Amino acid sequence: MNGPKSAEERMQARAPEMELIREAQAGSRTAFDALVRQYEQQVLRLALHLTGSEHDAEDIYQEAFLKAFRYLGNFRFECSFYTWIYRIVTNLCLDQLRRRKTRREDRAVVLDRSGDEIDLLASVPDGRSFSNPAKELDRKVLGERIQEALTKLTPRERMVFELKHYQGLRLRTIGEMLNTTEETAKNTLFRATKKLRTQLAGLR
Amino acid sequence: MNCEVAHERIVAAAYGELPDEQIHELERHVTGCPECQEDREQLLALKVLANAHPVLEPDPNLVARSRLRLEEALDALPPKRWYERLTQRITNNFASMQAAPVAACLLLVVGAGAGSLGGYEMAQNRAARAAQTFQTQTAQAAATREQAQTGPAEIANISSIVRQPNSQMVEVRYNQVVPQRIQGSLNDPAIRQLLMLASENSASAGVRDDSVGLLAAECRAGHSCQAAGIRDALMVALRYDKNEGVREKALKGLEPYVGEDVQVRDAVLEALLNDSDARIRTAAINILEPVEADTSVRQVLHSVANTDQNPHIRNVSRQVLSRVPEIQ
Repeated sequence: MNGPKSAEERMQARAPEMELIREAQAGSRTAFDALVRQYEQQVLRLALHLTGSEHDAEDIYQEAFLKAFRYLGNFRFECSFYTWIYRIVTNLCLDQLRRRKTRREDRAVVLDRSGDEIDLLASVPDGRSFSNPAKELDRKVLGERIQEALTKLTPRERMVFELKHYQGLRLRTIGEMLNTTEETAKNTLFRATKKLRTQLAGLR
Repeated sequence: MNCEVAHERIVAAAYGELPDEQIHELERHVTGCPECQEDREQLLALKVLANAHPVLEPDPNLVARSRLRLEEALDALPPKRWYERLTQRITNNFASMQAAPVAACLLLVVGAGAGSLGGYEMAQNRAARAAQTFQTQTAQAAATREQAQTGPAEIANISSIVRQPNSQMVEVRYNQVVPQRIQGSLNDPAIRQLLMLASENSASAGVRDDSVGLLAAECRAGHSCQAAGIRDALMVALRYDKNEGVREKALKGLEPYVGEDVQVRDAVLEALLNDSDARIRTAAINILEPVEADTSVRQVLHSVANTDQNPHIRNVSRQVLSRVPEIQ
């Protein structure tokens, strides 16, 4: 990947999009539809991976673009449209994650027949397979373990890990999207990876 | 470098976020520290494992479905354009707004122990005066118009605080709400703008009623009401206002235009089909007289004749239908 573009280069690259945004702000539905088409794939990709559900992803898509349409007038070009849209989407995703967390609390504890609590991760493969990731493990089972571990993160930690690890965004951008600093995003990433490692290593 | 810091930097490095000058330093530490080496190995393993839950491209059907649903929702929204034009014109005429947020930017000097409160109050007064000069500068053909600030300017919120590096200077941006009052004739575009804003925006049904009544009277009197979007405002009030009195006034205001304006006709047809108040539906039928012969009007009348809850309305619809011969 090339080095970071100069501010001017970035402005020039954005120029046609700025025109589109201005037209959409002036009321052009065609222009707004064009913006949607530019970003819909990314929005769905993110929402789908985060929620794991096509239905939820569709809902987030709907809410995000309706919000964008409604508040387009507030966009003042102080950040890129990409960041602006993503900010809307990540906030909706965070809301989703928080709702799920509250629901999950009800069945956080699983009991076996004798009434003892079962540690859901007790059956995670032991240290051997973990320290040798090249070993063939059933992908599906592994995928489930990861998803399970991800649900143990706080919504913000999950969001930062998703944006950094899965979507490949820079920490500075992530900070902008979550309305915080790059430093905070970095610390959140660190906490997230620490928690995930603990989860996936089993008991230490 | 201690291991705690190293662990954090290992994460940053693994994700390409460690500044170049720190990478070398980290390498040196890790090379001589088995614990940190293991830490790094585990992190790399995590990255591999995390990819067992891969990011998938959304199914094209999902994309299509989502887009379709969005388009339908956008189509169902009331027309935004007139309100946007309206808001734009209002923001261009700050002075005419009843409650105008005025953005002011001031430098506050913050010294050790300095009375920042004194500075704050001084800023408030300065901004209020700045707002007034701004208003007098932009006030236009105001011969018939009288304006006054009816209350002290209040600070609505602080939007940013930026400290100049290596100094005691701070820049504070804040917004003020300035209560205003304006008097003028109905011909004045500024007054009309406010009436239109009030027709949709006021929390009080009484205020909406007054404004819609005034706008409707303008339309009935034949004063130019399309260019300024008054007709649109009445249509929005007819469709969305929760108060029947307001909707009724809006309907009356639209009456003269049913024949010449298809949008008005359709708005009235919608009211006939969907309005919850029987009086309004009845009034709508009467208003549709000039366009009774239109196919779409007849279709709606047929539907109403069969399905309206109110027997009187069903009767009236049938009467109208029988009165007008079918068009071939």
